[in-house]
Amino acid sequence: MTTLQAALSGALVGGMFAVMAAGLSLTWGMLRVINLAHFGLILVGAYLTFELATSWGIDPILTIVLTVPLMFLVGAGLQWAFDRLGVEEFASLLVSFGLLIIVMQTVSNVWSADFQRMDGDVNPYATESVSIGRFVFPAPTLIAFVFAVVIVVAADQVLRRTFAGRALRAFAEDRTVASAFGIDHRRLGMVLAGLSAASAAVAGMLFALGNAVTPSTPFEWIGMVFAVVILGGIGQVGGVLLAGVLVGTLSAVVSATWSPALSPLVLFSAIILALLFRPYGLLTPAARGAR
Amino acid sequence: MMARGLGGFVLAFAALAALAVWREDLGLPIFYLVLASTALFWIAQATSWNVLSGYSGYFSFGQGAFVGVGAYTTAVLGGRHGVDFYLTVPVAAVFSALLALLVGGLAFRLRSFRGEIFALLTLAVPFILAALARVNSEIDGGQGVVVPVAEYPEWLAQFQDFLYLLNLVVAVAAVAAAFAIQHTRFGWALASIRDAEDVAEGLGVATFRYKMLAIAVTGLIGGAAGSLFALQIGFVTVESVFGLTIPLFVIVMSVLGGRAHWLGPVLGAVVIVLIQDRLSASGFEGWNLIVLGAILAVLVVVAPDGLQARLWRRPWQAAVALVAVTGVLAIVDGWGGPLDWFVAGVLAAVAVVLWPGKAPAPAERRPAPSAAVPVPTDVDRGEAAESSGHSGPQLRPNSTIDGEVGEVLVECRDVTRYFGGVRALDGVSLQIRAGELVGLVGPNGSGKTTLVNLLSGALRPTSGSIAVAGRDIVGLAPHRIAHVGVSRTHQIPKPFESMTVRDNVAMAIMFGRSARPLAAAREEAQACLDVVHLRHLADAKPAEINLHERQLLEMARAIATKPKVLLLDEALAGLNPAEIDAAVAVVRRIHATGITIVIVEHLLRVVNQLATRVVVLNQGALLADGDPRTVMNDPDVIRAYLGRHAHARGT
Repeated sequence: MTTLQAALSGALVGGMFAVMAAGLSLTWGMLRVINLAHFGLILVGAYLTFELATSWGIDPILTIVLTVPLMFLVGAGLQWAFDRLGVEEFASLLVSFGLLIIVMQTVSNVWSADFQRMDGDVNPYATESVSIGRFVFPAPTLIAFVFAVVIVVAADQVLRRTFAGRALRAFAEDRTVASAFGIDHRRLGMVLAGLSAASAAVAGMLFALGNAVTPSTPFEWIGMVFAVVILGGIGQVGGVLLAGVLVGTLSAVVSATWSPALSPLVLFSAIILALLFRPYGLLTPAARGAR
Repeated sequence: MMARGLGGFVLAFAALAALAVWREDLGLPIFYLVLASTALFWIAQATSWNVLSGYSGYFSFGQGAFVGVGAYTTAVLGGRHGVDFYLTVPVAAVFSALLALLVGGLAFRLRSFRGEIFALLTLAVPFILAALARVNSEIDGGQGVVVPVAEYPEWLAQFQDFLYLLNLVVAVAAVAAAFAIQHTRFGWALASIRDAEDVAEGLGVATFRYKMLAIAVTGLIGGAAGSLFALQIGFVTVESVFGLTIPLFVIVMSVLGGRAHWLGPVLGAVVIVLIQDRLSASGFEGWNLIVLGAILAVLVVVAPDGLQARLWRRPWQAAVALVAVTGVLAIVDGWGGPLDWFVAGVLAAVAVVLWPGKAPAPAERRPAPSAAVPVPTDVDRGEAAESSGHSGPQLRPNSTIDGEVGEVLVECRDVTRYFGGVRALDGVSLQIRAGELVGLVGPNGSGKTTLVNLLSGALRPTSGSIAVAGRDIVGLAPHRIAHVGVSRTHQIPKPFESMTVRDNVAMAIMFGRSARPLAAAREEAQACLDVVHLRHLADAKPAEINLHERQLLEMARAIATKPKVLLLDEALAGLNPAEIDAAVAVVRRIHATGITIVIVEHLLRVVNQLATRVVVLNQGALLADGDPRTVMNDPDVIRAYLGRHAHARGT
C-alpha cells in the first residue's frame, strides 16, 4: 500500500524531472550543445517565482507569464553566443559548467545560501492535495505532471508536424545536407534554445511550488535529470516523459522501502547500466543507434 | 632527458623542503607556507586529473570521488580504528586506484564510448559514493568523521610545516610521474588516444590497457592527496569531498595551464590558488567561484590550449611583465602588500601570455615551396608512366608479382555481418594469397568497407570465421590484429593532429609488432616517409598538409606497422588525376616491398592497372572473383555496375 502510494507519487514527481530534462535533451540532440547552464536557468526560474510571489504577491503559477519570455531571451542569446563563437559539443559542456557555477554563486550572493520557501499565504498550492480513492497526491506534484504532459506532447507534435520541427530534425540528422536545403539553422537554433530555456523557467516554477530551494539545489537535479535524458534517448522528447516517470517511480520506491539515502545509489547504478547497455535510450535498440 | 628531468624534480623538492625545515631561520611567515600547502595540494590534484583527462582527452567530473575515497580511508582507519596515519596514506591511494579501475573497467569496455558520456558517467560516481557514505555508519552515517592529528617529527616547528612537507612529497611525486609518463611510450599512447583513438588501436596501441593505466595513476595520486586533505581539514564530511567544487577546481586549473604538458596543471594550480587567496583576503569571497566559472567559460573559447604552450612562445615578455608590474607596485607602495604585488604581476604575465596574437602561419613552418615538390627520380618517372598505362617497357599490368603468389594469407569463411535487420555482408568466402594485390570493387553499399572493417577488427562478424596468416582473428582487439599483421588506411584521413608527420609514422613503429623506442622509431619513420615521398614534410603538422599528402601519410603510417596485408580503403578518393597517378605509383612501390594489398577503389581504371586479381561485391555477396580482364567483362558485373539495360545495349 505505502509502496504503491510512493510509486504513484514518485511517478508524478518524475513529471517535474521530465520538464527539467526536456529542454536539455532537445538542445543536446538537435543543437549538439550539452547545456549544464540549463540547471542554472531552472534555479533562477525557481528564485524568480519565489521573489515575484513573495514581494509582488503574484500567484506563483502565473509568474511564468513574466519568467518564460525573459528566459526565452536568455536562452536564445546564449545559443547566439555559442553559435558565433563556434563552441562545439564538448566545449559546450565545459563552458556551460563555468556558467552554471557563475549562476549558482550569483544566486547565493543575491538571495543568500539559506533555504528559501514561499510562505503559505502566497503559495496556496503547497498545502493542498487531491485524494483519489485511498491515494493522496500533493497539488504541486499533480500540477507538475500536468505541465509535463502538456509540454512534452506539444514539443513532440511541433517536432513531428510543423515545418520548423521537421527542419530541426533534419538538421540534427545531417547538418550539411540540411543547410544545403536552405534550412536557416542559426535562427531555428536560437528559437529552440529559447524554448528550452523557457521550459527551464516553467521547471523552476514547478520546483518552487512544492520545495524549498537553495543555491546548491542544482546538484540534486543534475544526476536525476541526466538519468532522464539518457534513458529517454538524447533528443527524443517523448522518451523524456517515460524516463521521467520511470526514474521518479524507482527513486520513490527505493526511498520508501529501503532508505531515502539509497535512492541516488540505485538511480546512478541504473544510469550506468543504461549507459552500458542502452546508450541511445530505452526506446532505441543499441544496434540501431550504433549505425 | 628523462634522467635530467627527474634530477630537476629532486632538486626542486630539496629546495622547497628546506623552506619548511629552516622556516624560522629564514624568517618566513607561516602564512606563506599555508598558502604553498594549498597550492601543492591542488598541483597534485590537477596533475592527477590531467594524467587521464588531459593526456588521453577523457574528461572526468569525478575527481571528487578519488579525493573522497582517500579522505575517508584515512579518516575512518585513523579516527575509528586507530591505524597510524602514515599507514593509511598508501592504503588510501590503493583504494582510490581500485575504484578508478572499477570505473574505467566499466566505462572503457564499450569501444563506441563517447567522451561526453564518459564525462557524465564520472559525474555520477561521486554522488553514488556520497549516498553510500551517508547510509553506511561504518564509514560516515551522515555524521562526518573526525581525523586525529598525526604525530609529526620534532624537528619541525609547527603542524603546518608538517602538512606542507607531506603535500610537497605527494605533489612532487605526482608531477614527476606526469613528467615521466609524458616522455615515455605511455604518454605517446595517451596522446594518440586523445587525437584519434580508433586509429591508434588499429595501429597496434593497446588503448584499453593504456586508458586503464592512466585512470589508475589518476586514482592513485588523487587518493594519496585526498588522504592528506583529510588531515588538513581535520573533519571529513560528504559535502567536503563529493561535491562539484573539486572537479571544478581541477578542470579550471588544467584548462588554464594547458592539458597536453606536465607543467600545465602546475601553472594553472599556482595561478588559481593565488587568485583565490587574494580574492578571499580582499573580502570578495562571494566572487571566488564566479571568477573561476568565468575563467573556465572564457578560456575554453579563447585559449583552449592553455598557458603552457603559449608561455613557450613568449617567455621573455611574460617574465618582463611579471617583474615590471610587481616592481612598479612595490616601488609605488600605495596599495596592498608584497603578495598582492606579486599576484598582480602574475596576472599581468598571464594576460601577456594569453593575449591573442598572430599564430605562426602554417606557411612559416612549412618548408620553402621549392622543397615542397618532390623531385621525381628516374624510377619515379618510370613508375608514373607505367601507372598511367600509356607507354614504357613495363606496360603490361600486374607485372611485378605475377606468378609469385604464395600461401594463403587471409581466409574468410562464410563471413556474415548484420546491422540490425540489414545484411551488409552475407556469407562471403574469400582467400587472399601472399603477394597478391586484390582490387575490391562493387557499387555503393555493397559491403566493401564493412569487409575492411571486419578484417581490421573494427567490427566483428555476426557469423563466419576470418583467419590471417593461419591465426583466427575474430574477437581479437584491433591492436592485436595489427600485431598479427593487418594494417589499414581510412577513407577520410585521420592523422594524430598534435604530432608531426614524422611522429605520426613513428607512433606506428613504436607500437608495432616489435616495440621500438622513440628515437629508433623516428629514424625508421624516415624510410616509410621516403616510400610515399613525404620526407620533405616530416616536420610539418598534419593540419598544414593537403588532402593528397594526408592520404600518403595514412599509407606511410599503415606500412610502418610492417603489415603482412595492407587494406587501402578508398585511398585515392578526392584526388586529381595527377595525384592519382602519384598515389598509384606509391601503391606499387609498397606492393614491391612484399606487402600484400587489398585496395577498395571506385576508379576501375586504377583497379585495372594495379590489381593482380579483382573481387566484386554486390549487395553483401561475392559476385565475381578472378583476374581483372575476365571479371570486368563478366555480364553480371557489368549489370551490377551499370544496370540491366546498359548490359543489354553493350552486348
